[in-house]
Amino acid sequence: MVIPPTPRNVLLLLAALSVVLILVAMGALTMGGVRLPFAEIWAGLWGASSSPQAAIIVREIRLPRILLAILVGAALSVAGTGLQALLRNPLADPYVLGISSGAALGAITALWIGGRIAAASPLTAFAGAVLTTLWVYLLGRRAGRLASYTLLLAGVITASFLSAIILFVLTMLSTRDVRGTAFWLMGDLSVVTNFQLRLLLPIVVLAIAALYRFANDLNVLLLGEEEAAHLGVNVVQVETAVYLLASLLTGLAVSVSGAIGYLGLLVPHLGRMALGNDHRTLLPTAALGGAIILVLSDTLARTLVAPSELPVGAVTAVAGAPVFIYLLRRAAR
Amino acid sequence: VGGISSALEESRRSFCFASMRLNGPCKLRTGRAPSPIGLKFFLCFAAALSLGLAKAPGRVVIDETGRRVNIPDNARRVVSLAPSITETIYALGLEDRLVGDTDYCDYPPEAKQKPHVGAVINPNLERIVALKPDLVVGSAEANRRETVDQLDHLGIPLYGLKAQDLDTALKSIDDLGMVLGGEPAARAVLERLRARIKTVEGRVQGQPKPKVLFVVWYRPLITAGPQTFIADVIRHAGGISMGDDLKGEWPHLSVEEVLHRNPEVILFPKSESFSPSLQEFQRLPGWKEFKAVKNQKMYFISDAIMRPSPRLVDALEEVASILHPRPGSRPQ
Repeated sequence: MVIPPTPRNVLLLLAALSVVLILVAMGALTMGGVRLPFAEIWAGLWGASSSPQAAIIVREIRLPRILLAILVGAALSVAGTGLQALLRNPLADPYVLGISSGAALGAITALWIGGRIAAASPLTAFAGAVLTTLWVYLLGRRAGRLASYTLLLAGVITASFLSAIILFVLTMLSTRDVRGTAFWLMGDLSVVTNFQLRLLLPIVVLAIAALYRFANDLNVLLLGEEEAAHLGVNVVQVETAVYLLASLLTGLAVSVSGAIGYLGLLVPHLGRMALGNDHRTLLPTAALGGAIILVLSDTLARTLVAPSELPVGAVTAVAGAPVFIYLLRRAAR
Repeated sequence: VGGISSALEESRRSFCFASMRLNGPCKLRTGRAPSPIGLKFFLCFAAALSLGLAKAPGRVVIDETGRRVNIPDNARRVVSLAPSITETIYALGLEDRLVGDTDYCDYPPEAKQKPHVGAVINPNLERIVALKPDLVVGSAEANRRETVDQLDHLGIPLYGLKAQDLDTALKSIDDLGMVLGGEPAARAVLERLRARIKTVEGRVQGQPKPKVLFVVWYRPLITAGPQTFIADVIRHAGGISMGDDLKGEWPHLSVEEVLHRNPEVILFPKSESFSPSLQEFQRLPGWKEFKAVKNQKMYFISDAIMRPSPRLVDALEEVASILHPRPGSRPQ
């Protein structure tokens, strides 16, 4: 089943996915450690609740978390879609290039230094992501341009090297920080401030929009770099831009939510199976689909073992690996 | 935020009542309606009063972790985020103020009946908010930094306790009494505990000090560092904790290093989820060469030693009776 990417179809698809996303988000809003009647949640959402507790639970605990899941889900899925096209490799995902390991090292180093710096761990995580991005970019260049296999290998090696350093730093952290870090490494959406959300929203939206401008070029690039160059695509410019935008999205997502695996790998595959290889439909679908899947996963993480919580990364990994294997077997048949 | 806004709500409501009651007789006595200016004055006064009411019953204190906390003068709805805190609240007889504790709060058994807010490491924020606490008490050893930040963000006051040795564990009991307005109970509890500590110290004084290995975990071998109340309990019980010259709270030890140091007594904390037989430890590589294993001086002790609550003194007495058995009595 491949939907022809006419503007009308794309708009219809996006409208449908948006409706699903809103419904899923509303559903997620009604679930949590405390059972609240729907009327109470609705009133709390608009600040009209009679109970201040309900208002706090809805507006300051559940809603920011759902918004964060939407932003992070969209960012990771779009980054994965872009990278799989850029590297022409279906195994590429935001973490394969070492960006998340760089972010993790940034966050953990802040905890290790401690004091005031520990509180700025999202910032140092982002710095770690940026530095790793530049480093892998420099390693992945050959004769002045990005070479996809060199880039992929540079990323994989950098990721494993940084993971080794993370283990080293972990042994030196105090027990309390190790526990916090373990949650972070497993992906955790529970810690978010409104300030972070306000900062994240415009950047994620702009970066996704900027990536979308290269949708046609990515389609052509799938034919091969040389062919794309013959067809008038500025390959160096497109590859650099897509790589940096995907890295920016990943770095932002990881710095606020830790390492949430499988999303960036799986969502592009699901999208391609449903829609084919046209990035004009694939990119926006990945954004909305990733948001829907992460909101669902986080709702499971919040409710499966209530009143305790699971790290959402554990949910996406446990659910993601079997789905991926299923897709693989189906494609092989 | 919840506490303040509900207090505001209440003060507003009482203001309405008050103004009705005041205005009624006013009219009767003077025979005319209150002037607009008088009404304005009254409204201003009431507004100031309601603001004052919302903020007044509280004070700013520095908790044991060095944070500034605005705590209510008379905390009525307290949530405990660690088993040791729950135990202390019960020991102070303030359990009717405890509206919630964690899944792991199992002592005294009644604590299991309190509404739970989830695990110690990741309590459920929604549950905490729904319990409408006017104070949450947490522990620097047990809880995550993120939990503290989140409660700060929600405007729920959290008083943090921090125990690094027996003295600070006692101080935590004192501080909890102070924060909850249970000073006399805390004084009484502390007096009894200090007397018991003194008895133990008197009994073990001058005795030879055995080298003690406290096993937090055995693969890899993790022991208690010098800055822990566990090591301090061993010191007070007349032993030498083998982690005392190591760095960190929970240092790893290689079996070679333990062989070199040759512990005379090995202690394991009991737990429900982990109960191997002592013989199993002897089968671990290298262990049968330890002096403690050769002399069969390996003991499971109560997990009270892991909790900086009044029961830490129970643990002290237990460890002392193992290290320095009374003549005629034998530890099991």
